[in-house]
Amino acid sequence: MKVNLDDPNLMAFALGELPADDHAKMAEAVADSPEAQSYVAETQQFARLLRAEYEADRQQQPAPRSPIVARMEEERRTSWLYQWGSLAAALAIFAVIAAIAFTTIQRESGTLSKRVADSPRTKAPAEATPEPSVEMEIAQQPVTTPQATTAPSTVNEFREEKSQVNRDVAEAGKYGGLALNPSAPPPPMPMKRAYTSGGGETTESEPPSRYRQDFNTATYDKVEENPFLPAATNPLSTFSIDVDTASYANVRRFINSGSLPPKDAVRVEEMINYFTYDYREPEGDKPFSIDLDATACPWDPSHRLLRIGLKGREVTNEKRPASNLVFLLDVSGSMMPAERLPLVKQAMRLLVDKLTEKDRVAIVIYAGGSGLALKSTSGNEKEKILRALEELQAGGSTNGAEGIELAYKVAADNFIKGGVNRVILATDGDFNIGVTNQGDLIRLIEAKAKSGVFLSVLGVGTDNLKDSTMQKLADKGNGNYAYLDSVDEARKVLVQQINGTLMTIAKDVKIQVEFNPARVASYRLIGYEKRLLRKEDFNNDKVDAGEIGAGHTVTALYEVVPAGAGAIDPAASVPPVDPLKYGTNRTETTNGSAEMVTVKLRHKKPDGDVSELTERSFTDNGSKFENAAPDLKFAAAVAEFGMLLRDSQFKGKGSFGAVIEWAQEGKGRDAAGYRAGFIEMARKAQSLKPREG
Amino acid sequence: MQSVGVEAGKMNGQQMDALLRRFERPLLQYATRILGDHDRARDVVQETFVKLQNEKRQQLDDAPAKWLFTVCRNGALNICRKEKRMTYLDQELLETRESEQPAPYEKLEAKEASGFLLKILGTLPPRQQEVLQLKFQNDLSYQEISEITQLSVSNVGVMIHNALKTLRQRYGQASRDFLPFTPRTVS
Repeated sequence: MKVNLDDPNLMAFALGELPADDHAKMAEAVADSPEAQSYVAETQQFARLLRAEYEADRQQQPAPRSPIVARMEEERRTSWLYQWGSLAAALAIFAVIAAIAFTTIQRESGTLSKRVADSPRTKAPAEATPEPSVEMEIAQQPVTTPQATTAPSTVNEFREEKSQVNRDVAEAGKYGGLALNPSAPPPPMPMKRAYTSGGGETTESEPPSRYRQDFNTATYDKVEENPFLPAATNPLSTFSIDVDTASYANVRRFINSGSLPPKDAVRVEEMINYFTYDYREPEGDKPFSIDLDATACPWDPSHRLLRIGLKGREVTNEKRPASNLVFLLDVSGSMMPAERLPLVKQAMRLLVDKLTEKDRVAIVIYAGGSGLALKSTSGNEKEKILRALEELQAGGSTNGAEGIELAYKVAADNFIKGGVNRVILATDGDFNIGVTNQGDLIRLIEAKAKSGVFLSVLGVGTDNLKDSTMQKLADKGNGNYAYLDSVDEARKVLVQQINGTLMTIAKDVKIQVEFNPARVASYRLIGYEKRLLRKEDFNNDKVDAGEIGAGHTVTALYEVVPAGAGAIDPAASVPPVDPLKYGTNRTETTNGSAEMVTVKLRHKKPDGDVSELTERSFTDNGSKFENAAPDLKFAAAVAEFGMLLRDSQFKGKGSFGAVIEWAQEGKGRDAAGYRAGFIEMARKAQSLKPREG
Repeated sequence: MQSVGVEAGKMNGQQMDALLRRFERPLLQYATRILGDHDRARDVVQETFVKLQNEKRQQLDDAPAKWLFTVCRNGALNICRKEKRMTYLDQELLETRESEQPAPYEKLEAKEASGFLLKILGTLPPRQQEVLQLKFQNDLSYQEISEITQLSVSNVGVMIHNALKTLRQRYGQASRDFLPFTPRTVS
């Protein structure tokens, strides 16, 4: 019998797993084959190595004893009655705790009592006596109660009231006509960027709640959707632009693999901004144009849908200034699968192909350590760059911080004044060595961004994608974040939109929209939850905001309840606020303007520190959705699709079927086929959603 | 046959201790892989030991590992089903990928246990990780693994074969390239 080295039975033989007679037969065959003998020996050696590693790992960190187990042991030693009595007692205690917990924590049922007993906070050492440990658990219980978390919002309400009284004259608004106290000092302005919308009703002191979804360890920050805000008391809506597109590609990856994405992986603005829209070109030497439009809101026709579109100036490839690029590539063990490092290499090859002799590329790799795999090299030495890329292999654990330091140093050493200076970070985001703390990493990037080097983050991988980390890195590093799920996506980001990805034409772009309370009862910004700014931040040049690249379009949608229509619809109604006792009555809106909104925009030049203001007003002509421009129909379809995936309370009367219909009406030329891809994905999502049929 | 006060046929404290020491961490890792969540995994493992306490000794004497992993696995899968997570089985379909061409088997240097191999192990599809853990961490036979995972014995054999092959290949490659890590400069 000839032995096949790829026969699972040979491995079973080496591991002593074959039944006696098969074993004898295999032993005979192996005796005839020196290859098979060495295979068996190597397999056994490897098995020993693997066993040793498992054993070392098991002994390295003995699992901390959970209180219930510790208590069981303790009682077993001290009492011969432990068997039923103590177990019943323990269960009774847990039942009590569970009852307490149930009334306070609104979480999934089923495992509550044990979670209480065993939450990391209350980990009791094995020696702890049972009684104190139970008391401790009960005592600590309020830590997780909702009452504890409402405290900051009370503080916020107070601050909000104060800031309304002390409202800055500059922010007085053109529609309001309000009596103000100009001599009062402006409210203190924390430098820290707060995620509060115009009204300041969200808390800034709470850390974003992070939790794990599904089987994998991918992490997404929780997104609380923007509510409707009354225009009379919150006429200003302020946010930072966002050109990230990662959420769309990530959502597509979930749907293509046959499941709907976790809610918090869906960021509606990133989905809308995945597509480019045909906005008017910027005039003169303006870096971008503002294009405003409105139509009936298709998921609630009594509402209006306001669209704010920005279009960055196009720059042709020949006119793109010299680029100094540093590829910072994660080559840690987790990057091994085909859709990670190999995909990144392919993406980089596509990009290198577009570079010319005026451009420079360096490659920094990082794993357990970090290193320079390629010194800064001219873009016409493509062979050399490609060869260095080719040689990269994945293995080891990830020290992101060290790699980031080195990459920014290389970028600074080769800085091209007036050119494109950019670090392109490709990773699955699993930084597990060195600075692993998200906050520290972000501070590191923030410090580096001041050097004038911009950042692009390319996310890859599936099961442990640290989506939220990467989004924040890009945000703080003056950058953009794209998720690569395929070579096609790499081509879109790095070839078709190379100038937008590489060349920033305006930075810290902020938008402030003032709604005219005479025309608008309430409004809701769709998406951009992570990009909200306080109204004071708009005029504060120290507050960081988003960047816009050459040729990029940025789109923001508002669902607007026209004045007079608000009270009818409960979904859009706003809880009434008591009139202010000391301030003036703010609800008087006796201006005669027909304008719906004024949109103000601030931006800085890529190398500038002082912002410029652009302003544009818009009057809604009340057009119907049927007559809306194709681009607006399409954006509405994408927005509603995102809200359906999030199962948003604001999704209105829309359905996947309607989304497909609107998208088809709004498909336009679609030369690159992206919109057709969206329609296909919506169909797939429809088939995955049982209740939609 | 048992000491006074311990209900006949059940575990005594020492036996329980020994099993806890030996299997608590492996079970935690096992359940965490299925659930993707450490807290829930703790719950499941705890429940497993509570059940163990009430289990008749005869059921356990020959194969406590098999019993523990079976109960733990079912507990974890029940949570998956209850919470309608992407199930473990779906995940396998998503992640199973044919491994690359069989590479020549290099001599492996006997490296000190460094955790590096386990890190690479984490890149295998979860079901392959599962069978490797059962086989090499917990010394279960193909037969026992088959009973725990509800796969046929030959299926278990194929899975271990493929998993070990891929693992050796990746380990060999990674050892060559990145251990020890030296910054490489293409001049």
